[in-house]
Amino acid sequence: MQNELVGGICAEDVLHYQDLARQYTRKSINPIFEGEHSDGNLSLLPERLETAFKIGIAAAPDESFSGYQYGIWGGAIDEQGLLPSMLLLSIIAETCGGVAMCLHAQGVATNLILQSKKKLPFTPLKVGLCLQEGLCPPYLGTIMFPDKDMPAKITTILEQKNDHYIMSGSKSFVYSMSDTDAYVVLARVNETWGCFLLSAKEKGINKTDVGVRTGMRACCVEHIEFDKVKIPLEARIDDENAREMVIHAMGMNWMGMAAVAVGIARGAAVAARKYAAERYQGGAKIEEHAAVKMLIAGAEASIVAAEATVFALKNSLLTTLTDLRKAASVKLSVIELCSRAVTDCLQTFGGYGYMEDYGMEKRLRDVTVLKSAFGSPTYLKQLIFDIEKEGSR
Amino acid sequence: MKQSIEERIEQLKMKNATKKMNVFGRLLVDNREMSLWEHDTKTLSWGVRRWRRKALRFSREYIRPLAPMADLHPHDFDPKPILAAAARHGFQTLLLVPPFGTASILPYFRGTALQVAVVGEEFATECGGLALLLLAHNLGIVPLLLSGSLRNIFGQLVPFYLKSYILGKPACMAFAITEPGAGSDVEETEGGAKAILVTTAKYDPQKKGYILNGRKCFISDGAKADKVTVYAKLEDEGIESWTCFLVEKGMPGFSLGRSERKMGQRASDASELIFDNVFIPKKNVVGKVRSGWANNRNVLNYSRPVVGAMALGHARGAFERCLEFCRKSYLGPKRLIEYQDVQLELADMAISIWAARSMIWHSCKQFRCYQSGSASAKVFASDTAFKVCNQAMELMGDQGYLHKNGVERMWRDSRLTQIYEGTNQINRLALFEHQLSTDFCMATD
Repeated sequence: MQNELVGGICAEDVLHYQDLARQYTRKSINPIFEGEHSDGNLSLLPERLETAFKIGIAAAPDESFSGYQYGIWGGAIDEQGLLPSMLLLSIIAETCGGVAMCLHAQGVATNLILQSKKKLPFTPLKVGLCLQEGLCPPYLGTIMFPDKDMPAKITTILEQKNDHYIMSGSKSFVYSMSDTDAYVVLARVNETWGCFLLSAKEKGINKTDVGVRTGMRACCVEHIEFDKVKIPLEARIDDENAREMVIHAMGMNWMGMAAVAVGIARGAAVAARKYAAERYQGGAKIEEHAAVKMLIAGAEASIVAAEATVFALKNSLLTTLTDLRKAASVKLSVIELCSRAVTDCLQTFGGYGYMEDYGMEKRLRDVTVLKSAFGSPTYLKQLIFDIEKEGSR
Repeated sequence: MKQSIEERIEQLKMKNATKKMNVFGRLLVDNREMSLWEHDTKTLSWGVRRWRRKALRFSREYIRPLAPMADLHPHDFDPKPILAAAARHGFQTLLLVPPFGTASILPYFRGTALQVAVVGEEFATECGGLALLLLAHNLGIVPLLLSGSLRNIFGQLVPFYLKSYILGKPACMAFAITEPGAGSDVEETEGGAKAILVTTAKYDPQKKGYILNGRKCFISDGAKADKVTVYAKLEDEGIESWTCFLVEKGMPGFSLGRSERKMGQRASDASELIFDNVFIPKKNVVGKVRSGWANNRNVLNYSRPVVGAMALGHARGAFERCLEFCRKSYLGPKRLIEYQDVQLELADMAISIWAARSMIWHSCKQFRCYQSGSASAKVFASDTAFKVCNQAMELMGDQGYLHKNGVERMWRDSRLTQIYEGTNQINRLALFEHQLSTDFCMATD
């Protein structure tokens, strides 16, 4: 039984990943929430993320770290599938969606670097992915001809000048850990997609924090402008066309966000059940009240459905448009289910759910950010329809 | 002559198409270019209409500039200037008609809560916290009014009102029913019967008054209020002995506990009140002794439509900001608002808002607010508001969750309206309780 294959890995490995995430959560993340901080004591976060690199949960482009292979979205996803990364993310998100999102963003950017078949000019540790421009991820609502699709509307452009490229443009809502060493930028070069590794200290990069936001506050979110940034030719990660990398990055992003949402919802359900078993109202524990039973049962049902949907794609390679359509559908439906579950769980707490003490309001804020982040439901629906339409032709 | 598609579309628009009708036909078509807000305002009586316009101006002039900072830094925010301004404009005295209060006379007798509800929507459109700061005051006042006691109305309410309106003094009242161990219990009959209450009043025959002990929590404006209407059971009795007492700031033994840290509506505090042998003179008993439970339930009947109106304001605030965003932002070659899927979503939001407003106004349009009407309006409006705020955030993509765009603040604010004045589950039970004996909507001869 222990060695039964689940996805591309055996059940024993699954247990190992779950145990690793639980230990990390207990030892490193829980202490952040001691004291009166609605989003945790974020000054402790850099140290805790460093631990994630050390124990191999955070993916790292550097071979000397175990996360290089087995971290979230590390190199091992080619053989093990998406399951380990999604398990790690969802378990960490049960305690803090923001920390999970940090590790997820690090993993997606790292995974693109690991796909490079050549030696890059430098090996960073903390990386962020620059993909989205303005309102939406690429394709801007339509992909009329996927086989001929070019990033025509992407405004971040590179021009080749002798032994280097010059990059100009801007990227929005770049999620990363704070103090990023480098960015992986997906941009337009000679009417095709290109993927580049860029040092965060490069001259011409202007970073602006997006400012106060609803949730996911453990994560750093920036707008980045590139003002004629000089990039060596060797910093190009892809061979000729990074379109598949774009699809892969978007797919991983959505699957990871869906896994984070499942974790947040599961954390909310556990907290709601615990509260319902402790809190008295009307002379009885509130878990005896029909209204509370209905709320918790509805949330549980939503979470089970969400989990089934997320893990159904555990063996997907996320490289084709069909995979992308499925990943978009997962993000669309799973986050909706999870946010409904979280709001129902919050409701069981009554007034206490709205206060910072029980962490329920944080869960609701975090899961709500996931709904809008990196592809709103309207955008996702349009993309799903467009890919479906192209496929049926 | 061949026309372009744009010209044909222009001709087909109702405004131009009606030109082909005869004069009588044209008279029967309402072609006035008017916002939904204006359309709805025109359905109101003159007095309420006046308050609606006045509240819109006030909220834009006074509330809008303060809202972002009051939300981000509630502890640095001084509420006195805005309370004083609201009092000067007559918003804090809307529960009585002149010469004691400021409500328009005829509409007041047709729907006491309507004027407050209309004002509440306008305030909440700009900021949930500041709206609550200004409106929770009314909640503290209502027990005095609904006690039916001339002693309370003329001895306590009227002087308070005159001081507020004439002198523009930022006086404020609060309403305290929730206890740490009894939240929903005190808002529902069956729960009330089983509730375990700690706030107790004991009659002291020597001092001719009551000694109050216990705690109340989550009290809106509790830290700012000059007076609080507090409900307490009498010693060795149950909730059926609940009596309302007027507790004044500075009374020995009355102190503040913790101030809660909330997700939204942050400009208004939610505080714990502690009563440690507080002496309440007999004149501060509101209404009759042991009439507190009925008084409390009736207060909720009047306040729930107003909470619904506040929720509606949050939804409208989110909608208006989202609409503005869709007008300004480009997606590819076109503005967001030109995409049909965006239009469908915006239209859906507008319909939801309209439905909620209709229900709230309907529930307020009688002299006495009733349990099922008020509870239904509150539930529908608050659920609708949260849904609309979510839609607005989603439509704006990543911009939706940035504080600077204002929509996420509305979203946070709206979530509380599903919880206070009885959670929406409790309100559903209230509707059921009230209508069960009358078989709900089944028609009778």
